[in-house]
Amino acid sequence: MITVENLTKRYGSSTAVKDVSFTVEPGSITGFLGPNGAGKSTTLRMLTGLTPPTSGTATITGKRYADLPNPGRVVGVMLDAAAQHPGRTGRETLQLSASLLGVPKSRVEEMLEAVGLSSAAKRRVGQYSLGMRQRLGIAGALLGDPAVLILDEPANGMDPEGIRWMRGLLQDFAGRGGTVILSSHLLGEVQATVDRLVVIGGGRIVANGSLEELLAGSGTLVRGLDPIGLNQALTAAGLSLEPLTDGALRVDAGAEQVGRAAAAAGQILIELRQSDGAGLEELFFQLTATTDLPAAA
Amino acid sequence: MTVTEVTRPAAAAAPGKHRAAETTNLPPVRGQSFAKLVGIELRKSLDTRSGRVLIAAILALAAAALIWQLTHLDPGPAAFDGFLGAASTGVMLILPVVGVMAMTSEWTQRTALTTFTLSPRRVRVQLAKFVSAIVLSAVVLTVTTLMALAATAIAGATHGDGTTYAGIGGALAGAYLTTALNVVMAAAFGAVIAQTAVAILVFFIAPTAWSLAGPALFKDNAAWLDVFGAFGRIAERDLNGMLPETLTSVAIWIVLPTVVGLWASSRREVK
Repeated sequence: MITVENLTKRYGSSTAVKDVSFTVEPGSITGFLGPNGAGKSTTLRMLTGLTPPTSGTATITGKRYADLPNPGRVVGVMLDAAAQHPGRTGRETLQLSASLLGVPKSRVEEMLEAVGLSSAAKRRVGQYSLGMRQRLGIAGALLGDPAVLILDEPANGMDPEGIRWMRGLLQDFAGRGGTVILSSHLLGEVQATVDRLVVIGGGRIVANGSLEELLAGSGTLVRGLDPIGLNQALTAAGLSLEPLTDGALRVDAGAEQVGRAAAAAGQILIELRQSDGAGLEELFFQLTATTDLPAAA
Repeated sequence: MTVTEVTRPAAAAAPGKHRAAETTNLPPVRGQSFAKLVGIELRKSLDTRSGRVLIAAILALAAAALIWQLTHLDPGPAAFDGFLGAASTGVMLILPVVGVMAMTSEWTQRTALTTFTLSPRRVRVQLAKFVSAIVLSAVVLTVTTLMALAATAIAGATHGDGTTYAGIGGALAGAYLTTALNVVMAAAFGAVIAQTAVAILVFFIAPTAWSLAGPALFKDNAAWLDVFGAFGRIAERDLNGMLPETLTSVAIWIVLPTVVGLWASSRREVK
């Protein structure tokens, strides 16, 4: 469980993060989205005790990060997979952490196996691809069998197969009661992986809710044999609508209302259903676009 | 925006089940003792190729000096302090690099990100790095001393003039003290500057520059800040009645950078 309350970070006169609050519940994966410079990384760094907040609090399982006696046993963190010593082998990188976390060496081998790096464990990290470093970083985050995972751009540099693997791993982790927050700019990947979204723009939270709710379309999509006639009939019935490029209409009303209005005018429908969601990409730009304007600050 | 919780079927199936039940039984969670932090820092200085090459190069330098000494023996009994001096001169010159790198390498290599997320109490980690650098230098100096002892024995045996260990106590005490002071000073510079190359450069140049410029500017008063003079007096364990000057030099060149370095690295933004 992650609780962020009124977190604010100011650097001099500029405010990187302003009054950010959200919670991440056990058993769920939360996607943390925002354009570059929106305050994602700053928030994650405040959450993990790397950057002191100007005001507000962030707790993990009820404790401030710095107050956790051995943080890696409670929360697995990967903020930058590229930040690993190139001269160390993959195995040694994990064994150093294992020693600090107080977990046995066998756990290192288990995690190497789990992320598919057993055969590359003897190689130095400098020879790893970014995708392999991501896997190593995830192995490191999982080493202490944490209840919470905080991952910044975990899918970055991974091939499609790796991304699918990671999605399964995270869903399995959440399925066993784990708490996950991940940031990503791969919107399609986020849409396929997360349960909830927290969207940040210009340092503020602009949306926070379940994926279904945020993506739910509004209104009804209807297509008639005679598009113009249908348009006139529905307008006459007092419904507000928007013609789509392919001849269908998006109506701000329920399916039944639309159906009745069409039937009353004798219009034949060939399609009638709830309108699709805008899709994450559109939602993302819609939510974060205004906050990019200088005047908005 | 308040929203109902949407959970996946799998999550709903096992809400009460603890995750650990499905993974290896790990030992109970313990804090991180200072000794453990020191041990990990020592391991970090030796588990990369560059770390090992550095230590190997220092020992190779000592070996080369001893071999040269063995092939150019003066007449008379083989003197241990001569061999120790030959072996340790280069060692003591390069060992501070170990101190600098202990403090800078994590920032240069960006592993500070992992280190400080796993151990958020940064000052403890930085202190562990100081201790680890001192331990590592003491070990290297001890190996050098053993090599010097072996060289003395070999010289005594091959030349038949016997061996002399006169002044062994003083020579060793001086070597260890100077090394410890140098390494701590270097580590302090590394903690302040955090860039390996720049820190090494400043460490080697600044005190030398001062020892050249100081006397010209301040005449006799320059001794108050002459760290080499202070190290020399400490190594000889004879302060020549210059206790205040020695303490001032040590305070300015070692204590002050150490404090500033600990403060700076505990606040520095980890990139």
